[in-house]
Amino acid sequence: MHIAEGFLPPAHAIGWTIAAAPFVVHGARAVVKEVRENPESTLLLGAAGAFTFVLSAIKLPSITGSSSHPTGTGLGAVLFRPPVMALLGTVVLLFQALLLAHGGLTTLGANAFSMAVVGPWAGYAAYRLVRRSGGGLLPGVFAAMAVADLATYVTTALQLAWAHPDAASGFAGAAAKFLSVFAFTQVPLAIGEGLLGVLLFRVLVVSARPELERLGVLRRTPEPDQAPVPEPTPGAER
Amino acid sequence: MTGLAIDDAAWASAWRLRSPADKLLLSGGLVLAALVLPAWPGSVLVGLAAVVLALGPARVPARTFGRAVRLPLAFILIGALTAVVQVGDGGLGWAPDAATQAGGLVAHAVAGSAAVLLLATTTPMSDLLPALHRLRVPDAVVEVASVTYRMLFVLLTSLSTIREAQAARMGHAGIRNSYRSSGMLAAAVLTRSWDRARRLSDGLAGRGMETGLRVLPEVLPSSPRFVAATLAGLAALVTVSALT
Repeated sequence: MHIAEGFLPPAHAIGWTIAAAPFVVHGARAVVKEVRENPESTLLLGAAGAFTFVLSAIKLPSITGSSSHPTGTGLGAVLFRPPVMALLGTVVLLFQALLLAHGGLTTLGANAFSMAVVGPWAGYAAYRLVRRSGGGLLPGVFAAMAVADLATYVTTALQLAWAHPDAASGFAGAAAKFLSVFAFTQVPLAIGEGLLGVLLFRVLVVSARPELERLGVLRRTPEPDQAPVPEPTPGAER
Repeated sequence: MTGLAIDDAAWASAWRLRSPADKLLLSGGLVLAALVLPAWPGSVLVGLAAVVLALGPARVPARTFGRAVRLPLAFILIGALTAVVQVGDGGLGWAPDAATQAGGLVAHAVAGSAAVLLLATTTPMSDLLPALHRLRVPDAVVEVASVTYRMLFVLLTSLSTIREAQAARMGHAGIRNSYRSSGMLAAAVLTRSWDRARRLSDGLAGRGMETGLRVLPEVLPSSPRFVAATLAGLAALVTVSALT
């Protein structure tokens, strides 16, 4: 859910840009450091950005009848960590504004805050929590993707409520309105995106295990020829 | 054809060879005017100016521009209606000045979207990214964004080809199959993106270009007449809004 161009008053547009800036700058520093240490990661990070953009072109059938598009921020947070996602997410939002007319330029800060900062961090926190409490990879991925989506939608609804408070009941009334109106599409989308994540990782675990190990999502399994050879016990030949 | 109508329009536009800085000044000015000036007549004039410039001198196809403006319209209309519904003790009702408020919100948003589209449909992303250097964005970040732009078309083609193949095998018949196929589709596109990145990286390293692919940016000189006309037009917009 992207806030369209011109939908936020100037003060809010500036405020959200300032709020998102430190996270995006932190992400940019992480990317600069990564590229300095491993120059080849420019291409891998570019590929990750392109994948996040392309993911929004996949149509998910929704229970409410309409089709929705996954945002991929939870997936990005699991694969590439939230700081990098803050930068990649902002780049993708800029591309979406200029190539798909989704979102806008003055609302880029607000959209980056909800989709590239709050979404990935909330999704990653949910993922770590599930993994720490003994959950497997797939429940963790489901939690990351569903929570990232829900957190993004709640943040956007609150941003809209703050910008356009209700004439009678103020911010609280406006928040209730925006949360309930967008819940029809966003809650089924969050569940759908969680399911998509599980199906995606079931394939990745089989077909892209080395990449998942390199990204630290899966623990490295020792190579068969490097596995420690047990010492022959005396008399074992007999 | 790249698969993204706005990008196709940008490459084919009559303003393609104009300086990106000139076009940024015009669109940026219009975006700010749509945001800051009152909805009537400011936003309406901004919207009209953006549409006339895009369809007239920039020769953007009306169909592409119309479709692109329609995209954010669902969000704008639902958002504006939600904003002017009032939650009171007696249930839901309209806010006192609902029509004016909703009209103002829609006018600001549609005019702003049209102004952004004027830039998007006349300037390809590869012309805009070098401008980020001037905003002191680190080279590594601009390079990652450039790779993203170059790679997304290949991935979009992969996505539609795989989806077509899945659909031909009844892969999207029913919700269950559709989810399964979408998961496999996303996995295939992700592994292809990694594979392509690795092959590109190996190819560049083999040519001694370990710090990325550096190319000379196309020099598109600024036009003093265009800049003067932009400033005069924006000043006229502000004056008309202030006088009304």
